[in-house]
Amino acid sequence: MPGGMFERYEQLAGPDEMFDRDGSIRPAYRAFAERLAHWDVAEYHLRQSRADLALLNAGITFTVYSDEQGTERIFPFSLIPRIIGSREWAHVEAGLIQRVRALNLFLLDVYNEQRSIRDHVVPADVVFGAPEYSLRMVGFEPPLGVYAHIAGVDLVRDQNERFVVLEDNLRTPSGVSYVLENRTVMVRVAPDVFPPHGVAPVNDYPSRLLAMLLEVRPPHVTEADCRVVILTPGIYNSAYFEHSFLAQQMGVPLVEGVDLVTHNERVYLRSTSGLEPVHVIYRRVDDAFLDPLAFRADSMLGVSGLMSAYRAGNVTVTNAVGTGIADDKVVYRFVPDIIRYFLNEEPLLPNVETFAATVPEEREFIRRHARELVIKPANASGGYGVLIGPQASDDRIQETLAAMDAEPRQWIAQPLQEFSTIPTFQDDGLHARRADLRPYILTGASTWVLPSALTRVALRAGSYVVNSSQGGGSKDTWVLTDDDELDEADTPSSTATTGTDAASRSSSQSSSQSATG
Amino acid sequence: MMLSRIAESLYWLGRQLERAENVARMVHVDYHASIESGALVGHVPRTWDALIAATGAGDSFAKAQADDPGRSPADFLVLARDNPNSIRSIVGRARELARTLRPHISREVWEEINTLHLSLNRRTSVSEYELYDLCGSIKRSIETVFGLYDNTVLFDEGRDWFRCGLFIERTDMTSRILDTKYHLLLPTALEVGGPLDRYQWGAILRSASAWEAFRKGGRGEISGARVASMLLFSSDFPRSARFCVRALLRHFGNATELTPPPQRVGPQRLITILDLDLAAMDIRRAMAIGLHEYLDTLQSRLIEIDRALANDIFRALPESV
Repeated sequence: MPGGMFERYEQLAGPDEMFDRDGSIRPAYRAFAERLAHWDVAEYHLRQSRADLALLNAGITFTVYSDEQGTERIFPFSLIPRIIGSREWAHVEAGLIQRVRALNLFLLDVYNEQRSIRDHVVPADVVFGAPEYSLRMVGFEPPLGVYAHIAGVDLVRDQNERFVVLEDNLRTPSGVSYVLENRTVMVRVAPDVFPPHGVAPVNDYPSRLLAMLLEVRPPHVTEADCRVVILTPGIYNSAYFEHSFLAQQMGVPLVEGVDLVTHNERVYLRSTSGLEPVHVIYRRVDDAFLDPLAFRADSMLGVSGLMSAYRAGNVTVTNAVGTGIADDKVVYRFVPDIIRYFLNEEPLLPNVETFAATVPEEREFIRRHARELVIKPANASGGYGVLIGPQASDDRIQETLAAMDAEPRQWIAQPLQEFSTIPTFQDDGLHARRADLRPYILTGASTWVLPSALTRVALRAGSYVVNSSQGGGSKDTWVLTDDDELDEADTPSSTATTGTDAASRSSSQSSSQSATG
Repeated sequence: MMLSRIAESLYWLGRQLERAENVARMVHVDYHASIESGALVGHVPRTWDALIAATGAGDSFAKAQADDPGRSPADFLVLARDNPNSIRSIVGRARELARTLRPHISREVWEEINTLHLSLNRRTSVSEYELYDLCGSIKRSIETVFGLYDNTVLFDEGRDWFRCGLFIERTDMTSRILDTKYHLLLPTALEVGGPLDRYQWGAILRSASAWEAFRKGGRGEISGARVASMLLFSSDFPRSARFCVRALLRHFGNATELTPPPQRVGPQRLITILDLDLAAMDIRRAMAIGLHEYLDTLQSRLIEIDRALANDIFRALPESV
């Protein structure tokens, strides 16, 4: 066992990424574990402090309350990486490409022909009752028919050791800059633990992103003339670091609403040499704030007339307006059916079992099994309004069920979801902490998956909450490239067990589980 | 192609960094001067007052001292959060600007500015004996930023705006440093040219990083006229008003190569005339006007140029597409 740091390592109810149930090291982690054995606790502390300093100096921080005292914190970075073998990654990658392709076809359909609604793949009230459905997009087809150009899909490894999809993020998913920065820091402070054949590099992301943005430009613009910009809400947005990071890495202007003007259904930016045309806008501003003429009139972040320029085909907006309908929590329930309907394939990455209250028999099931389920509002995030059945009082359950009956469209329910842990250093040694996985998927003329992901980890013992806003941290994510010699029978996905023991032991530990976003 | 908003931010980044460096240098020099000349004339606070006046914070310091008579002038100049012209406040603004400018400056430049900001922010106080080292390290850090900027950032329009800001601020600060002598009244008129007078002019040379340049230039014994002449009209000293305005004119010309003439011509005219005036002026005539009055006029002309840049270029509304 490496360096004594694992002396008190105790596995939780779910599977562990590094260790088998019997405590042996899984194949993907073997080369890493051999190298980590040269570290002891003091060495770990030294490396961690170097990593923290590098992140602080690079300004990869968020501000705690007012800047008056200038208290800045880094997002906690944990040095033990998530490691995924090449074979398992190939499966995840194929599953993600399948899912994003199907969701893009679904978006094109709900805003145009609406075959999937006529054929009852997704109930009409689920689509038209969603606040994210944008009337301004009806009858409009964006270049190449792509809506979700940049997607981040949240996965967890469940009791059965399979990756399952927890949630799709198709509007303005953030976090990819941390993937790139975490790798930069990891290579700098812990070069000695990387495997001999290396891991899949991540630096390609910005050039892939730019190439994709150029692919979806308005068809009448040549690639050489095409000007791409990133639209940010500004320096006080919590993801501003990422916006400026991507602008810098791609070498494109980072603009705010005030920098853009529209004239004759075209978009221009205000420069020292006069007005310059803009053709592709990678916006990190929500739909509602994009164009005060089309949406919220009080928006200071948007550009008046942008929607008209977009619909006239003179500018491409990524992700498309109205994409939120496809990552709605109720629509999520129907994604496996969407994949079967549009691609005629079985989903490679399963959903978490989900019951939608809008479907009468499922509402009945929720009512009968409320004690065993997690019941969630469909369009709230951050764990707000979530009912954890096993821990809730009778009154609270009755209250939630009444709210559900009043507005079935707004409620879903899922069984309590157990997920895997990764060793994470705390105080004196390594402890098992739950972690999720958010890969990033780009779609232009074709679909590409970044061979890494954002791994977010719950830092509190026993916690299921990985959100950075609630005390979560992050890890580097390694996709191995040259591990074919590994015995396939040893990979986690193929040593699936029923996991019923694990599930029953875990049911008392949950807080606001799987609150992601 | 450069966003007007970004051009303006780069201009202000240059200004703020140059300002912070100048204040650090003035404190650095005056720390010594205040101790030594205190021995000569017996009233230490004078130099601090002059210094605070030079940063434009005289009134707010008087107010702060009324609230708290024990308020340290050194702390007020370096770390005070309630003084918008303390080094910490200026560096804080530079860092906020640098944050919006991340895509336009290199990682090296950003990290140096950010590290300086973080180190100043961590400090709660500065004692007298730390002042010299602290200001020295601030100065070095900002000079490092300038060096990194030169060697890691693209030679494009943005660099010229950054330099415009740097040189207009340097002109302004040099004139303010020179003007501190106006606030340092000698006990009697008889002492003009005496040891204290010479000492004070020497401190001004050091505040402007001009001591060695003055010596090398073979300009003879230190006197008010000789020091002021070098800091205002030297064509080869890189902090003199004349040198800086010439540089401002050159960088402005580069930066606005593609700017439509109606937007460009206003500030261009103001800078050109100031450049011509500085070349034609000499110290004898400036002193005939009165050095303080001459410096006052110079400062208002810089304000006019700054206003023209903002109105005509950075915030101009486009006339047509």
